[in-house]
Amino acid sequence: MTAPLITLDRISRVYQTGRFEVRALDGLDLTVERGEFLAIVGPSGSGKSTLMNIVGCLDRPTAGRYVLDGTAVEELDDDGLADVRSRSIGFVFQSYNLLPRTSALDNVAMALAYQGVGHKERIARATASLERLGLGDRVDHEPTELSGGQQQRVAIARALVTEPALILADEPTGNLDTASGDDVMGILRELHATGRTIVLITHDADVAARADRQVHVRDGRLVA
Amino acid sequence: MSPLDLIRLALARLRSSRLRAALTMLGVIIGVGSVVALVAVGQGATKGITAQLEGLGTNLLTVNPGSSTSFGTRGAAGSATTLTIDDATALAAIPGVAAVAPELTTQKLVIAGKENTTTSIVGTSAQYGTVHNQTIWQGSFLTQPVTDLGLRVAVLGATTASDLGLGADAVGTDISIGGIPFRVIGILQSKGGSGPLNQDDQIIVPLEAVKSNFVSGDSVRSIGVSVATADQMDLVKAEITTGLKSRHGLGAADAADFTVFDQAQLLTTVNSITGLLTVLLAGIASISLIVGGIGIMNIMLVSVRERTREIGIRKAIGAKSRDILFQFLIEALVLSVLGGFIGILVGLGATAAIGAIAGWGFVFSPATLVVALLFSLAVGVIFGVWPARQAARLDPIAALRYE
Ligand SMILES: Nc1ncnc2c1ncn2[C@@H]1O[C@H](COP(=O)(O)OP(=O)(O)OP(=O)(O)O)[C@@H](O)[C@H]1O
Ligand SMILES: [Mg+2]
Repeated sequence: MTAPLITLDRISRVYQTGRFEVRALDGLDLTVERGEFLAIVGPSGSGKSTLMNIVGCLDRPTAGRYVLDGTAVEELDDDGLADVRSRSIGFVFQSYNLLPRTSALDNVAMALAYQGVGHKERIARATASLERLGLGDRVDHEPTELSGGQQQRVAIARALVTEPALILADEPTGNLDTASGDDVMGILRELHATGRTIVLITHDADVAARADRQVHVRDGRLVA
Repeated sequence: MSPLDLIRLALARLRSSRLRAALTMLGVIIGVGSVVALVAVGQGATKGITAQLEGLGTNLLTVNPGSSTSFGTRGAAGSATTLTIDDATALAAIPGVAAVAPELTTQKLVIAGKENTTTSIVGTSAQYGTVHNQTIWQGSFLTQPVTDLGLRVAVLGATTASDLGLGADAVGTDISIGGIPFRVIGILQSKGGSGPLNQDDQIIVPLEAVKSNFVSGDSVRSIGVSVATADQMDLVKAEITTGLKSRHGLGAADAADFTVFDQAQLLTTVNSITGLLTVLLAGIASISLIVGGIGIMNIMLVSVRERTREIGIRKAIGAKSRDILFQFLIEALVLSVLGGFIGILVGLGATAAIGAIAGWGFVFSPATLVVALLFSLAVGVIFGVWPARQAARLDPIAALRYE
C-alpha cells in the first residue's frame, strides 16, 4: 500500500485578533489517499476555508503536522510553500479568480510560467488543457467575454495544466446555476476517473453527494 | 518567470492602460528631455563662446596700459597712457612673437553718401589682420608701406560696411571719417561675433592716420601680440613683462604700469563659468526627473492596490515573492526607461531647435545620453522598488479575499 497523499495530524489554527482568540481548527486529523474524491462538508464558520488554506499551502497551521505527497509542509519557508503550490496543487475557487483583461490562454499558461516552463511549451500545454475542457474555440476570450460556467472551466484548465497531485476546489459550484454546476461536477468526476485526487469543499449536500467520501467539519474538528 | 516574460507582461500591461502609462511617463520624459536639452545648451553655449574668443586671434596676448592686480580691477587698465608705439616696435623683436599690432581706437561719425554711422576707428599696423585672425572679403588689407606713410585709407568691418550701405563696389571710393576723407581699400569677412566680442563693427586705418587726424600724442590704447605657438605663450608673456618693465625704467620688483592679458586665461575662466552653469541647469532639470520618479512610484502604489487580487491569484498559483517583486519592478523600469528614451528624443529635438536659433548648431555628447538613460533606469529602480516590495509582501490569503 502506498503512502497517503495527505496526512493531517492534530492540526490547529488559531487566529489572534486583538483581544480575541479564534480556534478555527482544533486538533483536526485527516488522511486522504491517492486517487480519492473527497468532500469536506460543514456549516458556515466551521473552519472549511481555514482547512483549505492549510491543505493548499497558502497558510501554516499553528500546531500539528501536515505531510503532502511525502513533504513535511510545516517545515517549508514561504518560497518552499510557493513551490509546493506551483507543482503539487491545482486550485479551483468559488469566484473563479481568473486574471482580468487576460485571455483564457494566458490565464492558463501563467500557471506554467511559475514553473519556469518556456513560452512555446506553455502555449502548447495551455491550449491542450483548454481543449480538453471544451474551450478550444475560446482561448482568446477574456474572462468578461465568458459565462460563469466557462470561466470556471478555464479555472479548472489552469488547475490541471501543471499536472498537480491534488486538485483543491473550494465551493466550485457556489456561483453557478444548477446546469453549469452539474457541468463542473461532471468534469471533476471525469478527472477523478482518470486517477486524480480531488478535495472538494462545500456546504451543499447535493454537491457533496457526488464525491466518493464525505467528511464533516464542525467547530474546527471532524465529526462522524 | 524569465526576465523576457516579465518585460512582455509589463508591456502588455502598459498597452492595456495607454493613457495612464503615457501620463506616468510624462514626468520622466520632461525630466530626461530637459536634462539632455539643458546640458546640450550649456555645451553649445560654451562652444559658441569659445569659438568667438578664438576668433579674436590665435595665441593672442593683449598688452594694456595701467596696472591691474586682479581680473576685477581690469576696468581701470586702458585709461592710462603708458604704452607707446615704440613699445610695440620693441615687442616685435622678442623671440616667439609672430605679429604685433598696436591699437589706437577712437569713436567717430562716419559718412558714406547719404548713410552715416558712429563706430570705432582702429588705428593699427599691417599685422592687425594676422593678430586678430581677420580675413579680407573685398579689396586688400593695410600694407606696410601704407601704414608707414600713414595714408588715409580704411578697411571696413562687415557690419559697418552694410550699415553704410557699401558693397563690393565700394572699394576705391571715399568715405568721411570725423569729417576727413578716407579711401576704402577693403572690406573684411564677417566673423559673426556679438556684443563686446563683435569685430565686424569697426573701421581699420593706419595708426599714423589716427594720430595725425584724431588723437595726438605717442601713446596707444593697447598692443595685440600674436605668439607663434601655443606652448610659447607663458614664455613670451614673461619676456614682454620684463622687456616692457626695463623700457619703462622699472625694476624687477616694481609693479608693472601695464597688464599682459592672456586670451587662454579668459577662455579657461569662461569655460569654468559655462561648465558651472551647465551643471546648475542639469541639476535643476534632474529635479523634474525626481518628480517624474515620484509620479511612477505613486502610480505603482495605486496599481499594487488595484491588483491586490491579481497578486493573490498569482501567489496561489505558485508565484514566489521574488516573482511578484520583479514583475512590479520591471513594470516601473519599463515606464522609466521608455520615458527616458522618449525624453532623449524630445531633448535632442529641443537641442537641435535651440542650436539652430542660437546659431551654434547641433551640439550634444553621447555621454549625456548614456547618463540620461542610466538616470532613468535608476529612477525606475529607486521609485519602483518600494511599491514592488509592497506587492511582494502581500499575504496570499488576504490578497485573494481583497475586493
Ligand atoms: N483571518 C481571520 N482572522 C480571524 N478569524 C478568522 C480569520 N479567518 C477565519 N476566521 C474565523 O475562523 C472561523 C472559521 O472560518 P472559515 O472561513 O474557515 O469558515 P468556513 O467554514 O469556510 O465558513 P463559510 O462556509 O462561511 O465559508 C470563523 O469563526 C472565522 O470567523
Ligand atoms: Mg469558507
